[in-house]
Amino acid sequence: MSDEEHHFESKADAGASKTYPQQAGTIRKNGYIVIKGRPCKVVEVSTSKTGKHGHAKCHFVAIDIFNGKKLEDIVPSSHNCDVPHVNRTDYQLIDISEDGFVSLLTENGNTKDDLRLPTDDNLLSQIKDGFSDGKDLVVSVMSSMGEEQICALKDIGPK
Amino acid sequence: MQHAGSPEGYVLAKVSSVAAQLLKRGWHDFSTAEKETFFHQIKQASLGIHGVHVQFIGINFLESLVSEFSPSTSSAMGLPREFHEQCRRSLELDYLKVFYCWTRDAALSVANKITESDSAVDEVKVCTAALRLILQILNWEFQCNSNGKKGVNVFSSGIRQDAGLSNRSECILVQPGPGWRDILISSRDIVWLLNLYTALRQKFSHEGFSIDCPIAVSARKLIMQYCSLTGTIFPSDNGQLQEHHLLQLLSGIIHWIDPPDLVSKQIECGKSERSLFSESPSAAGYFSDYVLVTHQILLSCLCSEMLDGCRALLAMATVTSPTMFNQLLKSIRPFGTFTLLSTLMCEVIKVLMTKAPDEETWSWEARDILLDTWTALLMPLDSAGGIVLLPPEGVDAAATLFTFIVESELKAASASAFNDDVDSDYLHTSISAMDERLSSYALIARAAIDVAIPLLTRHCTERFTRLHQGGGSLDPTETLEEVYSLLLITGHVLADEGEGETPLVPTAIQRHIADSVVPDKNPVVILCSSIVRFAEQSLNPESRSSFFSPRLMEAIIWFLARWSQTYLMSPEGSQDSSYSSKADNMHQVQSISSGQTVLRYFSEYDHGKTVLDIIVRVAIATFMSYPGEKFLQGLTCYQLLHALVRQKNICIHLVTLESWSKLAIAFANEKMLFMLNASHQKSLAQTLVLSASGFRDSESANQYVRILMGHMTAYLVEISSKNDLKRVAEQPDTILSVTCLLERLRGAASASEPRMQKSIYQMGSSILNSTLILLEVYKHESAVIYLLLKFVVEWVEGQISYLEAQETTVVIDYCMRLLQLYSSHNIGKISLSLSSSLLNDAKSEKYKDLRALLQLLASLCSKDLVDFSSDSLEAHGTSISQVVFYGLHIVTPLISLELLKYPKLCRDYFSLLSHMLEVYPEMVGQLNNEAFSHILETLQFGLHHQDSEVVNMCLRALRALASYHYKETASGKMGLGSHASSLRNPKGELQEGIFSRFLRTTLQLLLFEDYSPDLVGAAADALFPLILCEQGLYQKLGNELIERQANQTFKSRLTNALQSLTSSNQLSCTLDRMNYQRFRKNLTNFLIEVRGFLRIV
Repeated sequence: MSDEEHHFESKADAGASKTYPQQAGTIRKNGYIVIKGRPCKVVEVSTSKTGKHGHAKCHFVAIDIFNGKKLEDIVPSSHNCDVPHVNRTDYQLIDISEDGFVSLLTENGNTKDDLRLPTDDNLLSQIKDGFSDGKDLVVSVMSSMGEEQICALKDIGPK
Repeated sequence: MQHAGSPEGYVLAKVSSVAAQLLKRGWHDFSTAEKETFFHQIKQASLGIHGVHVQFIGINFLESLVSEFSPSTSSAMGLPREFHEQCRRSLELDYLKVFYCWTRDAALSVANKITESDSAVDEVKVCTAALRLILQILNWEFQCNSNGKKGVNVFSSGIRQDAGLSNRSECILVQPGPGWRDILISSRDIVWLLNLYTALRQKFSHEGFSIDCPIAVSARKLIMQYCSLTGTIFPSDNGQLQEHHLLQLLSGIIHWIDPPDLVSKQIECGKSERSLFSESPSAAGYFSDYVLVTHQILLSCLCSEMLDGCRALLAMATVTSPTMFNQLLKSIRPFGTFTLLSTLMCEVIKVLMTKAPDEETWSWEARDILLDTWTALLMPLDSAGGIVLLPPEGVDAAATLFTFIVESELKAASASAFNDDVDSDYLHTSISAMDERLSSYALIARAAIDVAIPLLTRHCTERFTRLHQGGGSLDPTETLEEVYSLLLITGHVLADEGEGETPLVPTAIQRHIADSVVPDKNPVVILCSSIVRFAEQSLNPESRSSFFSPRLMEAIIWFLARWSQTYLMSPEGSQDSSYSSKADNMHQVQSISSGQTVLRYFSEYDHGKTVLDIIVRVAIATFMSYPGEKFLQGLTCYQLLHALVRQKNICIHLVTLESWSKLAIAFANEKMLFMLNASHQKSLAQTLVLSASGFRDSESANQYVRILMGHMTAYLVEISSKNDLKRVAEQPDTILSVTCLLERLRGAASASEPRMQKSIYQMGSSILNSTLILLEVYKHESAVIYLLLKFVVEWVEGQISYLEAQETTVVIDYCMRLLQLYSSHNIGKISLSLSSSLLNDAKSEKYKDLRALLQLLASLCSKDLVDFSSDSLEAHGTSISQVVFYGLHIVTPLISLELLKYPKLCRDYFSLLSHMLEVYPEMVGQLNNEAFSHILETLQFGLHHQDSEVVNMCLRALRALASYHYKETASGKMGLGSHASSLRNPKGELQEGIFSRFLRTTLQLLLFEDYSPDLVGAAADALFPLILCEQGLYQKLGNELIERQANQTFKSRLTNALQSLTSSNQLSCTLDRMNYQRFRKNLTNFLIEVRGFLRIV
């Protein structure tokens, strides 16, 4: 057990790392995986064998969490895959600027102004509508491998 | 109807089917004399008095008539079922036999012309139609048998009773009563038919002209139909007549299939010639095309003739006993039918082996039919599971066949060893087909068990030694594949599939008297031990790496799982052993059956423990030494280990084994096991905890669970109490460990049994706080949240009924906090994503979460119903109902109408809601306005749901509410108070009280909408108290309804119906059982009376 803990500790220190190795066989549906350098969410895993008496390999179908594109990969199931570190932070939405940026309030009271609004009209209108209704909105910002995007919003204001 | 010459076949068919329908509609209105004259005309026509064309039409008409009168093929007429049934009986009793005779005579009249001349096209048409009609008549669902079952079955919807049988094979039994004997058996029809076919055959084969034409096909079909004749048509004369009948048929059929090698060679020759033709360049042009076509026709004919021959054998096998089946051929050939069957099948398999697996050939079909024949012979439907004694020749034939099967399977296996392009989808679909085939093989093997077991042993040993000798230098793949299929075959031969029950030793092995009582010489023991020893070798790292491939291990694990369910430490074996140890002393063990010898050999007193130890160690090896082999490990978890811990007597020994505790320790500590697929870890945890039931006392069982799970809980607590948890938590490796831990805890929680209840409760309660922290931290990580919720659900479900009041309070408080926290994270949250499939995923994850929460509430509810604790909850001031309502209040805002479209969630939600409203209606009055109106809205929604189960639950909820309110107000109390009465809402509009609203809705539903008739009862139960609550409104609505009717008669009918709805049957104003029943009756009558004209389609 202590061994396990140690392993865990050392990883925690290497916090700057963007991805972690993980055995392909342990990655499940709904987990994350890096395919072709993109952070993805796994939507389908199937296993097959290399030759009749060979070893198992996993076939992943995954969707890029930022641009929604579908990617596939085949990895021997005992080998390691890269798993992205996906981070989500909640901020209160302060303002939406004309030039397509949002102004967010961080936990320690500063503002974060470098996040662009999504370009997709549908997502954009969902955010803008809520904001213009005067609701108190909290946005969740998902960041992974150096990219950031708003992934959810939530109305926290009193009705 | 007598305009015969018309060439339009389709029009003719339509006209005759319309005529048949007309005739059926008027069946009861025509007098017998009218029918007589009509049928006389038909008879004239079908006997050919007015010429061939009219004859054809006559037969055609009869055919449509028969099909119209047979319930399964009749067309819908909007008439009651009873009518169809009466028509069917009348036709069967009075006309069917007559029709048969006419048709036969018709066929006879034209048969000669066909065989004599080449150009009798019209006659051929007539004859074909006649044969088809006879076939149809024989397919009739005879019911008026001699056993006097003449009752009309109004409920069965025209599905043949022997559907199960026809499912298994293609042959349908023909069981006309004894009344048909003189016509079908005693007459010379069969001989005539066979002669006709032989004549056709000769004629066609001489002329090279299409012999696969409809007439030949119908003739063959009819012959097969004759083969399936059975039942009371044969007198009880020891089957002599039947034997004679079948013999007649067989002597005709035999030419199609005997001698097998010649037939198959002919077919194959035809094939190769054809391929020769198709290979040759088309220089020969027209001529070669012509020859090719003729060839193909000839070939396909030979094939279908051969296949029909096989089918006829199958039909005979179904209707006879094995002995009689074998006897049949003896009189015309020097060998019995079994020998023929066996050689035929060998031949088919031989052909099959030369073919690529994906090629669609006749031999596949032939093999399947012949396998069905064996199954029919060895496992007759009426003798459930009993053993069938074969004649010695049959046993020999089975032995030869099985030997051949094993050889060819081995050959196939080694040949396919290097095909790795097998499409996995194709593989999965073929597995069940393969399973079926293997169980047929097993039946054949068990029929010749004396030969089969030593044969398998020999094959196994040979392969095992070959693997060892290879020692890594040679490529073992072919041998591996052979061992793989040997293990599958052996597994099927030795043991049956349990399907949730403990399978018994197959009767053949059970009954088989061993040559020697010494277990070491018992062939079954030898075979089993050699395989177990082989499995044991996989523990040796060297041989593991050289030849125990994952695929081979899969077969081994599968075999061990199947085998151990039947043989390992079976309670029967241990009983016998204690008994026979006495018997041993008395030297009376001469006639112990083989089955007992085997069971005793593998019982706990003998080699059972060693074998169990080997099995456990092999299982550990699959976890430790085959990283990432998900399928193999899944087999070990779900099949092997689950099968072991399901048996109490095995558990008792498991927990004493060193290897088992090694597995437990490895599970708790080894990193390798954290690398297993998470759901396998869950299953493993469950298995390990379940094995604790093998301890004698609950103290040590609890201790064992505590030690096993202690690490996990400690680890989880440790993770959750980290200072930098927020940062660490999102790292993939932390997510992985938390996921695995939660899965393991969930597995353990799902293994709750009274004996281990204490420790599992402690396990859960020690991490309650941690789970709340994790719920907060992972609020965006839906996969983790779901696992967490599932763990809580299973833990509460397993524990709740055992908990003492104090503990219950803790659990309930915890659940409430969990619900609040979950809801605060998720309410009003909108996911944004570019990908629609990710959005859908998010939605379905939310749905799964909510379902888990509803299950949690439902299991809390059950505390009020099932409670094993010593003191009552009320004493501690906790009320389950309050808690659950509060929980519902938290959960309901999360459930959008969108989510209720998921049928499972919808049912869960409504069943919980209606349960709550039924059991605790008093709580509703205390809800605040918002919660209350939410519940009402969902009820309204549910009433219009398409799932009648949901509507039913809503109606039950309404009934509960209304009757509660009525009773309360009647006794002068508040009832639902302000909720029930009309209110002015803030905007000044009048809002109706809930009961008025629901009274309207329910009436609307009942009178004007579509619904299943099953709902009327529930609706009546809801409507009655509603009417009582809101009598004024009811009067008003009733008057409105009456006013709206323009038609005077309808008006008065409606008035009367409404009147009698509330007054007939001495209905009174109290809500008791009697009145509910009366009102149900009244409502049904009311609806029958008025819905017809109220509802306009």
